[in-house]
Amino acid sequence: MDADALAPVTPRRPVGVAIVDDHPVVIDGVRAWLATEPQLTVLATGDDPDEVLRAAPDADVILLDLRLHGRVVLDKLAELSAAGRRVVVYSEHSEPTTMLAALDAGAVAFLAKHEGREHCVATVLDAASDRPYVPPALAGAMVGDPRPDRPALSDKEREALLLWFQSMSKASVARRMRISEHTVKQYVDRARIKYTRAGRPAATKAALLARAIEDGLVRPEEIGIYRSRASTDQPTP
Amino acid sequence: MSAEALRPQHARPVPVPGERVTQTVDEVGAVRAAAAVARTSDRGARIVAVTIALVWHLTIALPAVLAAGSALVVPEVVLGGWLLVAVLGVVAGIRLLRDVPLPAAPLVGALLVVDVAVFATVGRSHLFSPANWVWGTLAWFFLVVLWGRPVHRLLALLAAHAAIALTAVVLHGATGAADLARATMAFYGTSSLPVAVFAGAAALAALSRERAATAAATNAMVAEREAAEQARHERGERLDLVSRAASEVLTELAQGRADPADPEVQRRCVRAAARLRRLIAESDDVPHPLLHELRAAADLAERNGLPIDLVTIGSPPPLPVRVRRSLADPLTASLAEAQDWARLTVVSSPDEVVVSLVTPDRAGPDSTGPPAEDGDGQVEYLYERDGEVRWTQTRWHR
Repeated sequence: MDADALAPVTPRRPVGVAIVDDHPVVIDGVRAWLATEPQLTVLATGDDPDEVLRAAPDADVILLDLRLHGRVVLDKLAELSAAGRRVVVYSEHSEPTTMLAALDAGAVAFLAKHEGREHCVATVLDAASDRPYVPPALAGAMVGDPRPDRPALSDKEREALLLWFQSMSKASVARRMRISEHTVKQYVDRARIKYTRAGRPAATKAALLARAIEDGLVRPEEIGIYRSRASTDQPTP
Repeated sequence: MSAEALRPQHARPVPVPGERVTQTVDEVGAVRAAAAVARTSDRGARIVAVTIALVWHLTIALPAVLAAGSALVVPEVVLGGWLLVAVLGVVAGIRLLRDVPLPAAPLVGALLVVDVAVFATVGRSHLFSPANWVWGTLAWFFLVVLWGRPVHRLLALLAAHAAIALTAVVLHGATGAADLARATMAFYGTSSLPVAVFAGAAALAALSRERAATAAATNAMVAEREAAEQARHERGERLDLVSRAASEVLTELAQGRADPADPEVQRRCVRAAARLRRLIAESDDVPHPLLHELRAAADLAERNGLPIDLVTIGSPPPLPVRVRRSLADPLTASLAEAQDWARLTVVSSPDEVVVSLVTPDRAGPDSTGPPAEDGDGQVEYLYERDGEVRWTQTRWHR
């Protein structure tokens, strides 16, 4: 099923979503947000990731509350991501360290709960096609990442992340940086793709990276991808 | 109910706690104070060492050399050596008292050369007389030259001095038991006191530095604890306030007295949620003065009915007051004129702090113009309106 879950979703095919949260009222709220987009179908909901996935084994995207029954489920997140499940974490915990830990564990995206209304649908749609979506709070966490081994971002990428975090409007960022909105999104997304190299490897990270290369967002050499010398025609130094 | 209900009964004076906290942040200052105390206590011992060296050199060594006169083998060298050491001693002593010591190695070299020269030219008859002034005086100049350095260097230098003396004694043929005993006594008698003064001063300086550092650390800790206590107290008050406001609106909603469709009720909910979110986001024990000022400004704006988000990432490094003011003031000024909503963000790293305020744009004049250039030009100010938002940003680079 791994290969299946990672297969790119064509724009026409409906996207199956599973919601895991221990508060029914939140599930109802998220359901209401997703209902505005006809392409999205909620397949199963519940407070136990395993049960929800048994009910909806074909879910394209899992929306996972990071805290279930008082416990932060980063380990479960890592397990699902390693198995190729596209997990969008959403949480009321919007501390930068938590967000970065979720990315490291393999989450495709991180959504702070108070950002849900504006960004939930876009995040899930992008996640379903293995494309990054960086809501403002996550951009803030990335631009303020204090870890010594953080990915090296270019000045433009840092600036785009910073301004996007500050203003929450890509149009305003575009005017500020005197570039197109499309380019703003590219800078932000490229920064996000660089984070696929942080933390332990996960199938979801590989999928994000593969799609980014396919889309021409990044070149493999820009993010230091290992390539077997035997399989390329590059001269051996 | 309006914004009035959110106003606290006892509006606290806003900037005071931030100023207090500055003291605790400046730990570098405490270390500096400890060093100053140690320096002051060491100064007395330096004066003693320099005075003894020069007074002995002038009042005991010089008359003896002059009295011996032509009885010395090469009086010019003995006297010239005396003069050279006197000059070096005055220069090194003045520099030491002014706390800018000369480099030790060349001075030590010069002293040892004089040592050898005088022993070689003083002659057998004056080998143990006061005219051989290097016995008595030189150890004190070693002290002046090596002040503040580890004791073992002084001991090494004295050992070299002893070796030179012993060699001279042997070469002059003074190898009788009585002569060797005199040499030993001379060396011991003229070295023990300088070593004691040197070691004692070093120990005293270390002790006073340690005490001063302990006192400064204790003060800093007390101040930090007080500031943390104060911050906790303030947060408690704000939590009471926001809980009251939130529970009021929730109760009214539950009892059906408030209509969720009413824009005013919605605004109350938004305000209560924003304030709770800000309170939850405050994870620091003692707020950085910059964050403290911005939070206070956000609270003030909110009491006037403005829903505001304040998000901080990272913690700012200690900042001079002028830089802090240049960072915060343009934002607080714009905030006072904001309407509908506002988003205030602070992104900090050890080398950069960026503060930004975004509010919806509306017709009307620009808010406050660029602030007077201050903060030593280290703070970049940016103001833009693009029809959608008004964007104020200040940015400090190390």
